[in-house]
Amino acid sequence: MADDAAAQMYQAFVSEDPAGAIAVVEKAKASGTAQADLFDQLFAPAMSLLGGAWASGAIDEYAFTQAAVVAEQIASFVTPPASAQDTGVTVIVGGMHRDYHAIAKNVIGATLKEAGHRVVDLGVDVRPAEFLERVEESGARIVIVCAETIGTASSVVRVREMLTTAGHEGVVLLVSGGPFAADVDLAKDVGANGVVRGAESALRLVERVAAERLANGAD
Amino acid sequence: MAERSQHLALAEGLARQGHIQPAVDACYQALRIDERSAPTHGLLAELMLTGDFYDEAIDSATRAIEIDPSCSPAYLALGLAYDRRGGMWDQSILVWHELAEVEPELVTAHVQLGEAFSAAAFDEEAIDAWRRALELDPTEARAMYNLAVAALKREGMATALPGFRKAGELDPSQDELFFSLAGIYDDGNPAPDPADVPEDRQHRLEAAGALAFEEDYFASAELIRAVLDDDPEDAEALGLAGYLYLKQEATNEAMACALRALSITTRTPTAVYVLGVAFSKRPGLNRHAARVFAALAKAVPKHPIPHVLFAESLLGLQKYTQAGQAYRTALELDPSCVRARFGLAAVLLTDGRYAEAMWEIRRAAYYDTSRQGLFWQLYDAYIERRS
Repeated sequence: MADDAAAQMYQAFVSEDPAGAIAVVEKAKASGTAQADLFDQLFAPAMSLLGGAWASGAIDEYAFTQAAVVAEQIASFVTPPASAQDTGVTVIVGGMHRDYHAIAKNVIGATLKEAGHRVVDLGVDVRPAEFLERVEESGARIVIVCAETIGTASSVVRVREMLTTAGHEGVVLLVSGGPFAADVDLAKDVGANGVVRGAESALRLVERVAAERLANGAD
Repeated sequence: MAERSQHLALAEGLARQGHIQPAVDACYQALRIDERSAPTHGLLAELMLTGDFYDEAIDSATRAIEIDPSCSPAYLALGLAYDRRGGMWDQSILVWHELAEVEPELVTAHVQLGEAFSAAAFDEEAIDAWRRALELDPTEARAMYNLAVAALKREGMATALPGFRKAGELDPSQDELFFSLAGIYDDGNPAPDPADVPEDRQHRLEAAGALAFEEDYFASAELIRAVLDDDPEDAEALGLAGYLYLKQEATNEAMACALRALSITTRTPTAVYVLGVAFSKRPGLNRHAARVFAALAKAVPKHPIPHVLFAESLLGLQKYTQAGQAYRTALELDPSCVRARFGLAAVLLTDGRYAEAMWEIRRAAYYDTSRQGLFWQLYDAYIERRS
């Protein structure tokens, strides 16, 4: 069946029939082939047949190129999505008030976004009240505050105080930056729930927090 | 005067052969006779830099420039010494500016200027400098790597990764990998005229490889066609055909050839390479590319580039720690692999380890300028101008 479908797709390529190629894809999906498997089970074998046809001289250079154009046209139907699916987890990311270091925040924010999380990037030099406002506005339960100097790192405690005062004790506050990496006690002192040590660490922590919340039946 | 020239010539000869200590001694001999010899101070600076004596390199290069402000090799040594010593970004920026003025067409001066700006957190100016370098030479890989790192800092890995891959394609190391997989080496002889190639598989394939090496893709393709007309199941010919398509940005045709080759035999490393590169060009196929490059790295474990290609695919999968390990493997195999240095810098940046990332970029600069023989190019041109 898979070989058949690949042969049909190859035929659609050389006939310069993108609609026919899409119909083959739809048929394969209807017969139970998962989207993630379409490339390996359908597209790649069809491309192999195309390469073989060109090598044997069954199709000439022009037909090969035209078939490759059709393959390009339908590639998006068979390749796995480039970005991850929406996880539904909202994360607020920002640099602490009076801290203008943006790299860690940018990299962490972009990594979480690529992983499918909904990232609200507040930029740098963010006042504690703004973190609170965005938590209330977005319903986010995870906040990552970046601070790269001792002074700004220490002042992250104001974010925790503000969240607590407003009744958001359950919001998970994660911190990132050199001072926290060097002194974990500082993170505890400012009321943080964890220290993010780079992009991969942010992914792990956010996924763990999201999984725990799900297990506890939280939103 | 003659004696001075003899000592300097001796120092030059020794330095070119990598005999650092005797070359330093010869420089000091030359300076005892003529302390105001700018090329001798410039050469001494380069030697000190090679030995990681940054302060001494700075002193010698500065002296050379004091004596002759047009001594361009001394600017290069001075700029590199400032960069590698660290913490002297303001001076470094000035030096690279000066070198760009003395040698306006010197692309590396603009690349280095950008790196100095970046280290001093002048990000916009840095990007301008790298763009200027690419205007002068669109194939300047290091400028592209730096722009990719800048994109990473601002917008994350998804935006930066295509830049790293594009830079990798500009970097000659990737083509070198393909030709080494195909067993094609530069023997110094020109590729044969296709009309003179004996009509058997081996000669045709070798000639096709040699022509591809010289970037004569059409002549190479004709020979491959002849091989495939005799045997359409020649996997090596299909691998080479895939490479030719890749070089002409025809990714799907390349993929088709590679997949066909691998359906005939999986023991075709050139086809594995072509398939991996074709996958890596398509968004959403990072997992496929990682699988293919992992196989390639396993097949040729002593070559650094398969590890680099594997690492780049891992970056696309957000597996930064594993990517870092693959980059480190590549650097163990070849510490001068500029692509691996920049990749590792990117991984370190994702981990918040900025100082280490900057160090890797500085090492990349050192190896890249050494690889190009830039000091000697500037030095020889300077000596010629003086004479």
